[in-house]
Amino acid sequence: MKFIKCYKLMAVAVVISLVLISGCKNKHSYVSKAKFKGDHNIIITFAGEVDTAWAKDVKNYGIYAKPDPDIQLTISKIIPGSDKKTVDLYFSDAIDQNQPHILTIKNIMADGKNLGSTVVEVKKLYFGFLFSILIGAFLIHNFVFTKYLGLCVFFGTSQKQSTAVGMGITFMIVMVASAMMSWAFYQFILKPFHLNFLQIVVFIGLVSLSVQAVDTVLRKINPALFKAFGVYLVLVIANCVILAVPLIIANNEYNAAESFMLSLGAGAGFLLALFLMSSVREKLELANVPVTYRGLPIAFVVAGLFALAFMGFSGMVIF
Amino acid sequence: MDPALIKLAFGGLAVLGCIGLVFGIGLALAAQKFAVEVNPKVEAVQEVLAGAQ
Repeated sequence: MKFIKCYKLMAVAVVISLVLISGCKNKHSYVSKAKFKGDHNIIITFAGEVDTAWAKDVKNYGIYAKPDPDIQLTISKIIPGSDKKTVDLYFSDAIDQNQPHILTIKNIMADGKNLGSTVVEVKKLYFGFLFSILIGAFLIHNFVFTKYLGLCVFFGTSQKQSTAVGMGITFMIVMVASAMMSWAFYQFILKPFHLNFLQIVVFIGLVSLSVQAVDTVLRKINPALFKAFGVYLVLVIANCVILAVPLIIANNEYNAAESFMLSLGAGAGFLLALFLMSSVREKLELANVPVTYRGLPIAFVVAGLFALAFMGFSGMVIF
Repeated sequence: MDPALIKLAFGGLAVLGCIGLVFGIGLALAAQKFAVEVNPKVEAVQEVLAGAQ
């Protein structure tokens, strides 16, 4: 028992050190970091003091956005920091921070010595980017309230809170499983064989496969949970959010971590929408609703109000 | 017809057919492994009962 624990700890330590090592690769020893500051500035921090005359020369820097290497951005002003360790590059045109930029620094001069040239990649914090995908799919571009997808299941299963939550959790599990599978299929089978035009057919097949697999396995392994899911598991196949997410992933060429975050956010967003809606609809049962509005019509009105409330998130940018 | 397109079509058919076959067999095996014995009387009774839906 003790040994197993020891191995687990070691495995965790190895993984963490690998992540740390991969995080620090590709850096010139004298450039400690380079990052965006606002829309017009990039700040380079050196490990030690650099010569001011060298730092002020525009010719010593070259920068371009990673997708278009032949378009060099022009630096309009250079402000060396007071401690001589930082250099502030000012661009008159706004920089697109969503794209990584390649910064070349030539012949770094420090204490009259030439320390050679280096190439640094300037990009936004990657975990921040992942987090923004998650929150984006969860709240800002909530699939139900801002894109109006998956409404049939949304209205069909939001009458009672317990069923709504059960449906939401089932949905989240199937969503993540099928999105990850679709990502792997798209990257490793459809793209190499140039079959991109078949993506909708293949993704629908994968969704039904994962639903059927969950159904079969769950029936045997956990009958109580299976009973709780009931008919909703099969209903997931007929949902359009579950098809929309793999299509978005394929369109944006997301990698594994990004697709996981997007599908998790979409699933959690659907769960949130179902939970909110079912809470309101349970209260509506007690309200004095005009006869013509009872049932589905008032539910549509409520969904509209929710959509209005979710509009408050629109245009929000994280990181 | 462009031979490249024909190659693409047959390649796609072969690839997707193979995937479908593999998944079909996988699901069938899973269904066998995780088989749950169902009481045949349940279905028999349900067939006799009147069902609107």
